[in-house]
Amino acid sequence: MLELQSLYRSFRGIPAIADVSFQVAPGEIVGFLGPNGAGKSTTVKIVTGMLRPNDGRVLFEGQDVSKDMVAFRAAFGYVPEEAHLYNYLSGLEYLQLVGRLRGLGEALIEVKATRLLKLLHLESWQYSPISSYSKGMRQRVLLAAALLHDPKLLIFDEPLSGLDVVSARMFKDLLELLAAQGKAVLYISHVLEVVEQICSRVIVIAKGRILADAAPSDLTKLMKLPNLESVFAQLVEQQETRSVAQEIVEVMQIANG
Amino acid sequence: MHRLIQSLVARLPLGFRVLYRQFLLRVVDLEALSIEADVERFLGQFAGVLILISLISALGAFFSTIAPPTTPEGWLALAWHMEQSAVATMMLVVGLLTVVSWDSTFPDRRDVMVLSPLPVAPRTILLAKVCASGALVCVAIAALNCASGFAWPLILGTHFAGLPGFARFCVAWWLTVVGASAFLYCSVLTVQGFSALLLPRRTFLLFSAILQLAAFGLFLGVYFIEPSFLSPAAFMAAKGSWWLACTPSYWFFALFNQVSGNLPADLAWLAWRGWIGLGVAVTGAAASLLLCYLRTMKKTVEEPDLVPGTHGWACTPRFGGSLQTAIVLFAFRSLVRSRQHRVVLAFYFSVAFALAIALLRHELSAPAPLPITPEFIVPTILMMTFSVIGLRNVFPLPISLTANWVLRTTQLCPPEKYIAATRRTQLIFAVLPVWIVSAFLSLSYRPWHQVAEHLVVLGLLGFAFAEVSLIGFHKVPFTCSYLPGKSNIQLTFWAFVFVLLILGVSFAPFEQSVLGKPVQYAELIAVLGAAAFGLWAFNHHRAKSAVLYFEEIPEEVITTLKLAYAPPNRNQGDTQDA
Repeated sequence: MLELQSLYRSFRGIPAIADVSFQVAPGEIVGFLGPNGAGKSTTVKIVTGMLRPNDGRVLFEGQDVSKDMVAFRAAFGYVPEEAHLYNYLSGLEYLQLVGRLRGLGEALIEVKATRLLKLLHLESWQYSPISSYSKGMRQRVLLAAALLHDPKLLIFDEPLSGLDVVSARMFKDLLELLAAQGKAVLYISHVLEVVEQICSRVIVIAKGRILADAAPSDLTKLMKLPNLESVFAQLVEQQETRSVAQEIVEVMQIANG
Repeated sequence: MHRLIQSLVARLPLGFRVLYRQFLLRVVDLEALSIEADVERFLGQFAGVLILISLISALGAFFSTIAPPTTPEGWLALAWHMEQSAVATMMLVVGLLTVVSWDSTFPDRRDVMVLSPLPVAPRTILLAKVCASGALVCVAIAALNCASGFAWPLILGTHFAGLPGFARFCVAWWLTVVGASAFLYCSVLTVQGFSALLLPRRTFLLFSAILQLAAFGLFLGVYFIEPSFLSPAAFMAAKGSWWLACTPSYWFFALFNQVSGNLPADLAWLAWRGWIGLGVAVTGAAASLLLCYLRTMKKTVEEPDLVPGTHGWACTPRFGGSLQTAIVLFAFRSLVRSRQHRVVLAFYFSVAFALAIALLRHELSAPAPLPITPEFIVPTILMMTFSVIGLRNVFPLPISLTANWVLRTTQLCPPEKYIAATRRTQLIFAVLPVWIVSAFLSLSYRPWHQVAEHLVVLGLLGFAFAEVSLIGFHKVPFTCSYLPGKSNIQLTFWAFVFVLLILGVSFAPFEQSVLGKPVQYAELIAVLGAAAFGLWAFNHHRAKSAVLYFEEIPEEVITTLKLAYAPPNRNQGDTQDA
C-alpha cells in the first residue's frame, strides 16, 4: 500500500536521510524505530507531504504521491509527535474544522465527532477550549481527528505520549482492530515493549539510513538477543549507558570556580 | 558612557538581568513571528514610526517660524494647541502600548509554572516585569519626543522668555510627557491589578479581555473627540464642563503651563488635578502590583489544571461548501478568541466606528429627511475602506503556527478554493457589516431610490476593495508566519488611505450628481461592475496557479554561486523546505 523508494533529503547540504526504502502493506502494523535525530521525523514529514525529498519517491497504491498529493492526503490519517492544536478551539470545533477541511458532510461530521469524543471520554469536555485539556486529552483529540475520515493508511508518531494506562491499552486494541480491517499502520515509537507486542514488522533507522527491516521475533532470533531493546541498542551502536550516566553525575557535581 | 552603563548593568543581580531581557522581548508574541524574524528589529521599527512622527512635528515647529503669528494671542493659541496636542498624542501612544502589552506586567500562568520551581524571588520577577514594560514606555517617550521635545521649546520658549524660557519649556515638556505617560500607565496597572485581586481568576480573564477593548476604544475615542481650547477665555467658558474636569490630558496640559510659568491662576485647579492624579495612580499601581505578586501567583498555582467542561452550542451556521464554512468559521473564531487580533482589528474598526458615530449624530440632529450629499457619501466609503483594510491587515498575523500542520495535511482542494474562502471571509466580516450599518444610517435620507442607488455603489466598491486587498494573498488567514517589515505595513496603509481619501473626496460629488439620473447612473454602475469583475477575474486567474504558503521567507540578499559539489538531483528543493 505505502512504499518508500530510496528517499534522500538533506538540510543545508547535510544528509538527514539517505536511501530510505520500505513498504507498509494493508493490514500490517510496521514499527519505525530510531534514536533521536535518526531521521524518523524527516521521513514522516516526507510521507505526509510536508517536506519534499531531494531524491526518491513515495508510492501509495502503486502511484507516486507527488503526482496526486490531494488523493493521498485524503487517504491517510496522521497523529504527530507533538500535540500542536489550535488551542482556542474546543475539541468538537477542532474535529468539525478537520472534517470540513476533509470535505465531509455536516451530518456525518456531527455523528462521527460526537461519538468519537464520547468513546474517547471527552464528551463532557467537547465545548471546552483545548487550552484547558491535559496532554492525554489532546492526544485523544488528535486520534479522533486522524480517524474521522476512515483513512486507509494511519501514521502514528508517539501516539501513547501522555495517555493513561487505560487509554494506552485501548489504543493497542484499536491498532489491532484497524490492522484487521485492512488498514496500513506506520507506528513510530520509543516504547520498544509496545512495538514488540503489536508490530508485525519493525524498521530501525539510525544516522539517516535503514539498518534493519524484519519481524521483531526474526530480529531477536537472528541477533541472538533476548528482546527488541537489546537488538535496538546493538543496531544503533548505542553508547554504554551506564558510563554516560556516570559522566552526567560528574558534570553535575562540578563546583563553581 | 556606554561602558559606564555596562558596568552599572553588570552590578544588577544576574537573575534580574536574565528575566528583564526575557520579559522585554516577550512583549511581542514570539510564536507569531517567522523563524527568520528579529524581535529587536521589530521593536526598532516601532520606535522608528514614533521618531518619524516626532520629526514631522519638529518640522512643523520650524515651518511655524516661516509665517509666525503676528499677535500675542496668536502665539498663545499656537503654544496651547501644540502643548495640548503633544500631551494628547503622548497619552494616546502610551495608552495603545498598555493595550498592546496588556497583562504583560502581571504574572501569567506560564511564568508561574516555569519560574516557581526555580530559586527566583517573586520580587525579582516583579521588578524585572515592571522594568521591562517600563522600558518600553520609556522608549516610546524618548522616540516620540526626540525631535519635537526640543524643537517646540526652542521656538515657543525663546519667543516667550528668551534662552531661560527655552530651558524652562524643555523641563516642562519632558516632565509633562513623563508624568502623563506614568499617570496613564499606572492607572491601567491599578485597574488591572485590583480587578485581578477582587475577581475570581476565570471571571477576571473574561473581564480583562473586555476591559482591554474598552480601554482601546476609550483612548482612541478621547483622542479624536476631545476639543482644543486655545485661549484662557475658551477654558473659562468650559470651566463647568464634564470634559474639562474629567479628561486627564487637560490636567497635564495645565501642569505643563504651571511648570513653565504660564498658567493663568484660574486654571491652577486643573494642574493640581494632574499632580493628585499622578500620585494616586502611582500609589495604586505600586499597591496593586505588590498585592498581585503576593496573592495572585499563589492563586494561579492553586487553580485546578482541569476544570469541569462547559456546555456549548454544537450548531454552526453554513457559509457555502464545507471548505468555505471551515475557513470562514476558523477566521471568525480566531478573531473573536485572540486578544492580539481583536486589538489590531479594533484599531481600524474604531476609525470606521468614529465615522459612523459622527454620521449618526448628524442624522439625529437633522430636523427633516435630507438629500444624499458628499458629506454622507465620503464617510460611508471611508468606513468601507477602513473595514476592508483592517481585516486584510489582521489576516497575516498568525495565531498558532505549530498547529498549521493540520491545514497542510488536509489540503484536499486546489488553492483557488482556499483563496475563494478567504474572499468570502472578507465579504462577510468586512464588507457586509459596513454595508448594513450604512443602510441603517441612510434611513433619514430621501428620496429612497437614491439611497438604494448609493447602497448599490457602496456594495460594488466594497467588493472591489476586497479584491484589491486580496491581490497576491495566497494564504489562509492567520496561518502564515509574520516577517516584520516585509509588507511595510505602515507605509502601505498610509499610502492607501491617502490615495483613497483623494479618490473618495473627488468621487463623492460625481456620485451625487448621477444619483437619480438613470442613464448616467447605469454608466457608473457598469464601470464599477466591470472594475469589480475585472479584479475578481484577475485574482481568480492568478489563484489557479497559486501555491498556498505558511512561512514568510525573506528575500535573499546574498546570491550564492552554488559552487559547492552536491550529488546530481539531490539539491533540488533543499532551500524551499529547509
